[in-house]
Formats: sequence, structure tokens, C-alpha cells
Amino acid sequence: MSFRIAALVAFFGGFIALSFEILWFRVYGFATGGTAPAFGVVLGSYLLGIALGSVATRRFCTDRIDRGDTALLRLPAVLLVLASLGGFALVPLIAWMVTVTTWPWTLIGVGLLSGTLGAVLPLVSHLGIAPDDDAGRRMSWLYMANIAGSTLGSLLTGFVLLDTLGVRDASVVLTVVGLLMGAVLVLVSGPTATQQKRWISGLIITAIAASAGAAPLYDGVWERLQFRKKYDGERFAHVIENKSGVITVRKGGEIYGGGVYDGVFSTSLVKDKNMIIRAYALAGYHKAPKEVLMIGLSSGSWAQVVANVPGVERLTIIEINPGYLEIMPKYPAVKTLLQNPKIKVVIDDGRRWMLAHKDRKFDAIVMNTSWHWRAHSTNLLGQQFAELAKSRLKPGGTFQYNTTSSVHVERTGCEVFPFGFKLVNNLVLSNTPVQLDRGRWRQALLAMRIDGKPIFDANDPAHMTRLDEVLALRKPGLKPGQKSTWFRPCADLLKAHRKAKHPIVTEDNLLIEFSRPWDWTQ
Amino acid sequence: MSPSPSAPSTEPTSPGAAPSLYVGGSSGAALPLPVLYGVFLVSGFAALVYQVVWQRALFALYGVDIASTTTVVSAFMLGLGVGSWIGGQLAANPKRSALLWFAAFEIGIGLFGWRSLHLIDVVGDMTAGASGPATFALTFGLVVIPTSMMGATLPLLVSHAVKHLNNVGKSVGMLYFVNTLGSAVAAVLTAVVLLRDYGVHQTLSFAVKCNLAAGVVILLAWGVNQLRRRA
Repeated sequence: MSFRIAALVAFFGGFIALSFEILWFRVYGFATGGTAPAFGVVLGSYLLGIALGSVATRRFCTDRIDRGDTALLRLPAVLLVLASLGGFALVPLIAWMVTVTTWPWTLIGVGLLSGTLGAVLPLVSHLGIAPDDDAGRRMSWLYMANIAGSTLGSLLTGFVLLDTLGVRDASVVLTVVGLLMGAVLVLVSGPTATQQKRWISGLIITAIAASAGAAPLYDGVWERLQFRKKYDGERFAHVIENKSGVITVRKGGEIYGGGVYDGVFSTSLVKDKNMIIRAYALAGYHKAPKEVLMIGLSSGSWAQVVANVPGVERLTIIEINPGYLEIMPKYPAVKTLLQNPKIKVVIDDGRRWMLAHKDRKFDAIVMNTSWHWRAHSTNLLGQQFAELAKSRLKPGGTFQYNTTSSVHVERTGCEVFPFGFKLVNNLVLSNTPVQLDRGRWRQALLAMRIDGKPIFDANDPAHMTRLDEVLALRKPGLKPGQKSTWFRPCADLLKAHRKAKHPIVTEDNLLIEFSRPWDWTQ
Repeated sequence: MSPSPSAPSTEPTSPGAAPSLYVGGSSGAALPLPVLYGVFLVSGFAALVYQVVWQRALFALYGVDIASTTTVVSAFMLGLGVGSWIGGQLAANPKRSALLWFAAFEIGIGLFGWRSLHLIDVVGDMTAGASGPATFALTFGLVVIPTSMMGATLPLLVSHAVKHLNNVGKSVGMLYFVNTLGSAVAAVLTAVVLLRDYGVHQTLSFAVKCNLAAGVVILLAWGVNQLRRRA
């Protein structure tokens, strides 16, 4: 095999390997809720496959090969074709398997396919490099070609294919590309006319079959991955795939980001389906929240409420995934949100945006954070971010965020800020004394309108009863005499958490991201 | 592993050792193959720990959106590519021992790793919020030195192993196997145990010790070989 051809094969191998890796990581991130341990286990399985694949090539690396024999190219060609076809079938296979077993079993497929691809580099090194004094230098070129293919594969798949096509069609494209690469190698290998005809027609038929079979094979993949063993044939109302992730919406209006619950399209406080009471609380603890920053948009329900809180003049929303903007116009509760002149939506990473806008200070920062056990949650729920938010508050400013009931996050926020309280599962923190003024809250809730409609109808006794329940912050379902935990001052929380020795969350201990150590096997 | 009988460096360094288990000779250290593989496994382990830890630190600065993550990963890849080229050039010089270069790079990676989070913090404070090409340039600037050293190790060891095994496929296959196996173990162990139980700094410190140990083992083997040859 000529050295140039060997480099080409190394490039092809790297391209296919990293392309499918990006695609599989998208799928596993969704199926596991994106926890740090799950990512580690998936990556470990992928690398283990590559390692085993590379050592398995030893039996083919005899000292008697003729490096000028182009027919040797057919072996890496077969590996590429097998890996591409396997890669195409793997996602539906994972989706089916998670409905009947725990997801780590599916990693066998990842290991087998990455093993097939891991065999390519050692094999072409053997076929393309003579064992002389120049072997190391030539090996470095093959390794570079492999890295170049890997980089191109990850960029193209991550930035373009997953953004424009989604996982199903990206799989088809990668499979066809893999088959084409196999075809190129076969053509270069000097086949006879009959062999050439057989190989090429076989690959074309396979490519057509993959394209035609994708729709039925990938049907219901996201539903299966999300519900796993609870999958009962339910279909999503909407699925948005882009380079930032996968958003799914159930027919009842529940929205999920990366397979994890993200909220409901609802601003109703009378029938509070999504604990939207927390968003309305801004009107009770802040006198004049003129300028508000919101990190994370999701369904837009919180933003719709906050934008209509009396006194709010400007609401800047930082959202990492633009897909949410596509869904909102379909739901009446939030469809007018983006036309609201008070609102400015910026597509960016919330923390990066704050770091880049040191001059911007806010009366209130509101963050309905995702689950604390997800990977990188420390970036928003740790001590360092609390300090960053603290530095971006105007005098009298408040920082409200969802602790998702983590005792560590509760203690962290209350330790960083001198004043604050817990409201439902949110912390409301400030550099100056902050209180929930129920009188002001009542007035605000009675005055508030969303799309011209009042939150509570003062003439409806049922509404007024509900208003009293809201103001009492009494947790639903409590028995008489039971104390509600929906409101607790930070001083009380700190006493309890210090006694229980709950550590604070830092970017060194990453405590919360590993707080569900065994759940990732479910 | 059965090196060619004609390979000049399969001399055992102790009377009872099997020749096929040894590599090394005139240009470098005599080192039992299992030890060389063990060292490269440890090197692969440490490399992945660094990747996880540095990526976390860089994502905290530059964001966890797809643009930032892809940029950071691409900067790593580019560093590895540059390193591969450097390793190839160094390996082509017969006057210099590939194993000594390898040892130097392992120690260099360890020393960089030791101060790496501090460096990322300092650069991060100066450049917080940078985006697009600036993020790529900054990330590449931060990781180019250690990732280049990482990328150089495979061609260096391949060059060394091929001289003694006289078989490129087996050399690459075995070295790639142990190095990637080390990374696979690190991926799981870092995510499931190390970061959870020891935190970022101690995990990083563990990787630093791995690199330094790998470098020292090779240097010791080289030193022992030099002493024997003089004796």
C-alpha cells in the first residue's frame, strides 16, 4: 500500500470514528439525562473498543506482506463499511434496548463498532510503512492524517449534520460517506472488472437501502430513549434537533431538554401545573425590578410571567439553545412572548455572557436552573457563580434560582449571600435585607395581566381562595398541623445544613454532579 | 510479541530475562516491554484525566454550548496533530534516543499539569467572555504545549519499538492499545470515582504524579543501562 493511500485510509478512519462518536454521545446524553458519570462510562466504552480493535490487528500484521499489493486495501475498506453500517443501525438498537434493559448493556455495541474503527490505524500503519529507521516519522504523518480526519468529522457532524439534519439523517449521511470511502478504497485496490462491478453495485444498493430504511428504523427513537422502560408507544408533539441538543414536547405541553424535564407551557397560577408560583414571587419580594436578567428560557413560561411583573422595564434572557424559540409560538401561554418589546433574547452560554458583560448590573437575576445532578451544573449552581451573580446586582438587587432541592446548593447560596430565603425549591438571595411582602404580592397578583387577561378574577370566589393559598405558601397535600417547608429564611437553612455538615458546592468538589452515583445505570 | 531474531537490541539486561521481552540498546534504555507498555498505559491514563479536567475549566470560562465545546476539542486535536509531527521529526534523528525524548515529554506534561489550572485561571481572568476565533486562539495557546507533548509520544515510541520489533503493525497496535486502554480506564475512573471523591485539584495532582512517574521510570532504566554499559 502506498504511503499516500495509507494516509487517506487513516484520514477516513478518523473521520468516521469521530463522526459517529459525536452522534452516539448525542444519543447517550439524551438517554441518560446528561450526567457526568454517564459521559465517562460511554467515553470509556468507546475508547476500550478502540484499544481492543487496535490490538486485535496483530494477527494480520505478519512480516511476510507485500506492501505493493493493493489488494491489501480491501481489509480496511471492509472495516470502514462494517463500521458505517453498524453505526447506522446502532442508534435504533440502543433505542430499542433501553426499553427492555438498562442502558449500559447497549455500550457493547459502541465498543464493537469503535473496535472495528480502532483497527484501522495500526493496520494501515503496517501496510503503508516499512519497518525501517524512518518508521516513526512516517507513523507521525499517518497519525496526523487520522487526527485531521477526526477533527473534520467532529466539526462537520457537530456543527453541520446534527444542526441541519438531526440524528436520523446524519446517520444516513455518515453511512453513505463511509460506504463511499469503502468504494474509493476498493477502486484503488485494483479489482478485476467483475469484482469492481460487484463491490460497487453492492455498496450502492446498501446505501439506497440505508436511506430508504432510515424512516421506519428510526421511528420513535427519541420517545424510546426518553421513556426507556416506561415507553408505551407515546409520540411527542414536537421534536427539535439542532447543534445545541434535542428538545422534546409531550402532547400535554411538558417540555424536555436533552431528555430531562424542563417545564410546562403554562402561566396559570389558578391551576399551577409547573410551580409557576416561583416566577410570580418576584412581585412579592422586589419593590421595583426594573431591569431583570434571566438565565435560561426553556418553555418561556417563567419569562412570560416575569416580563409582566409590575415594574419590570427590561428583561434580558440568555438561552443556550435556540430551539426553544421555535417551539414557543405554537403554545398560547407563551406565543406572544417574543413580540414583547421589553424582552431581548440572546443565544449564548449564560455564564460566559455574564463574564463578558462586566458592566451590566441588574435589579433581579432569575434562573430556573435544570437538575443539579446534570453535567456542568456546577457552572451555575456552585459558589463561584453565586459570587459572580452577587457582583452583578444593583443595590437592593436579588438573585433567585432553582436549587432543584439540593441541600448543597441551598447551603452554598445562603453562605455566599448575607440575606435570603428559600421559596418552594428556589433560593432568593440579596446583598441587602430581602423579605417576601405578602401585601405587595397580593396587590401585584391582582393587578397583573398576561396578554390582557388577569391572573386572578377578583369576582370569582374560587380564584380568591386560590390566591390566599398562594400567598400562604402552603405546600399542597400537607395535613393539618404539618409545617410547610415552602418558605424558610437562610438563617434557618444554614443552621440545619451546618449541623448536618453539608458541604458547599465548589468548582473543585463538583459535589452535585455526582450526587446520584447509581441512578445512571437505570 | 516475537521480535525479529536479527533485531540488534533484544539483549537481555539480566541473565534470566527472556530476550523477547526487552527493547532498547545502543540508542536508549534497555527496558522490559511490559514496563514500556505499562508506562505508556499510565501516560494514556494521565492524558485523559488532563483532557477532562482542562475541558471542565475551559468550559467554565468559555461556555458549554456546542461552539465552545467543539472549539476546545478541536484545539486539543490540533495540539495532538502538531505534537505528532514534532514526535515524528524527533524520532527521525538517530542520534537522539526516542525514549529519552519520551521521558522528557512525560515530565514536561506533568510539570505543565501541575500549574495548569492556575494558568487557565490567570488567562481566564484576562479573557473572560471571549468568543469565536478568540476562544479558539486562547484555548489553543493554553493547551498547545502539553497536547503537543502528548501527541509526540506515540510516534516516538513507535519509532523505538519498530527498531527492535521490526514490525510496524504490531508496534503501533500494541502501543495504541495500551495507551488507549489507559485513557479508557481514566474516562470511567475520573467520572465515576476520582472527581466525585477527590475533586478537581487532587484528580489533577494524581495525573501529574502519573506523568512524573512515567518519566522517571524511563530515565532510571536509561541510567541503569548506561551504568551497565560502562561496567
